Amino acid sequence: MNTTQIQEIIFSALTMTNHTREDNNQIPIAPITELYSKNGYLDSMGLVAFLIDVEELFLDEDIKISLSDDRAMSQTKSPFRSVETLTQYIVELLQE
Amino acid sequence: MTEKHMLITGASKGLGKDIAEYFLQQGWMVYGCARSAGTIDNPNYHHYQLDVSSAEQVSEYFYSLRKKIKHLDALINNAGVASMNAFALTPPETFRKLFGINVEGTYLFCQKALGLLKRSAAPNIINMTTVAVPLKLEGESIYAASKSAVETLTQIIAKEYGNLGIRCNAIGPSPIATSLISGVPGHKIDKLVQSQSIKKMATPADVINLVEFFLRPESRMITGQIIYLGGIAR
Repeated sequence: MNTTQIQEIIFSALTMTNHTREDNNQIPIAPITELYSKNGYLDSMGLVAFLIDVEELFLDEDIKISLSDDRAMSQTKSPFRSVETLTQYIVELLQE
Repeated sequence: MTEKHMLITGASKGLGKDIAEYFLQQGWMVYGCARSAGTIDNPNYHHYQLDVSSAEQVSEYFYSLRKKIKHLDALINNAGVASMNAFALTPPETFRKLFGINVEGTYLFCQKALGLLKRSAAPNIINMTTVAVPLKLEGESIYAASKSAVETLTQIIAKEYGNLGIRCNAIGPSPIATSLISGVPGHKIDKLVQSQSIKKMATPADVINLVEFFLRPESRMITGQIIYLGGIAR
């Protein structure tokens, strides 16, 4: 699976997240979108729900990944700070 | 109508098997697992042999389960082991075994099931605890400590995932004649039963009644609760 395909799955999960949010509070579907950082769109539980969707969407593609990480809740070190960092994190997971 | 899917650990014997058989009768699809082979012969029952405390085996199981089902309505973390011994004489291997199966097993199944539960219209997790926790039973320090951890997990999972619609509760059975208490002397069981408000041995049906209560759609406001049988309170 290449970087573009990984990003498409992340975008799909973001779309699912947007379905649960108000129209005036939608998350932009873009590589530079900040997810869980100082200016991120997701709070801690929003991040968890989003990551569960990401894992499930990968399973739909028959790919098993685990996004549990001790740095998850750190807004400075978390691999889930933005779509870009999450994409890179998943690229590395799939290479392991 | 959407099929209802239940996953139950420790389903090859005792209470787990009774719960599985009951919900099969109610028309559920039941996915059971245990260290031993399956003992339920029903086309709607699917058994998997694993060690619930093995992260690798549990992960592999959910990966295979995910190919069969797209949602899970109920997770019953029933697998558990007990040990009766004085605290001073309990070996480290026993501590690790009890915490491995009772706590780590519950943690692994709850965590791995979240994705499937999130896709259910009414998802529930039911964990199993024991009256040894509120009664602080002598001779059950490690067992009770492991179940205290399960109770805390239950209540924090309930808080963290309530916004996903996932309810998480726990049942603390009073003594039931199962293999779990087969090593406990009869007079100790009698003394324990006599300390209850309802001085009777419980039966699997009493636990099944609570499971059914937690799963009812009408119980939608009930989460993070620990209910003990026999009238025992914290």
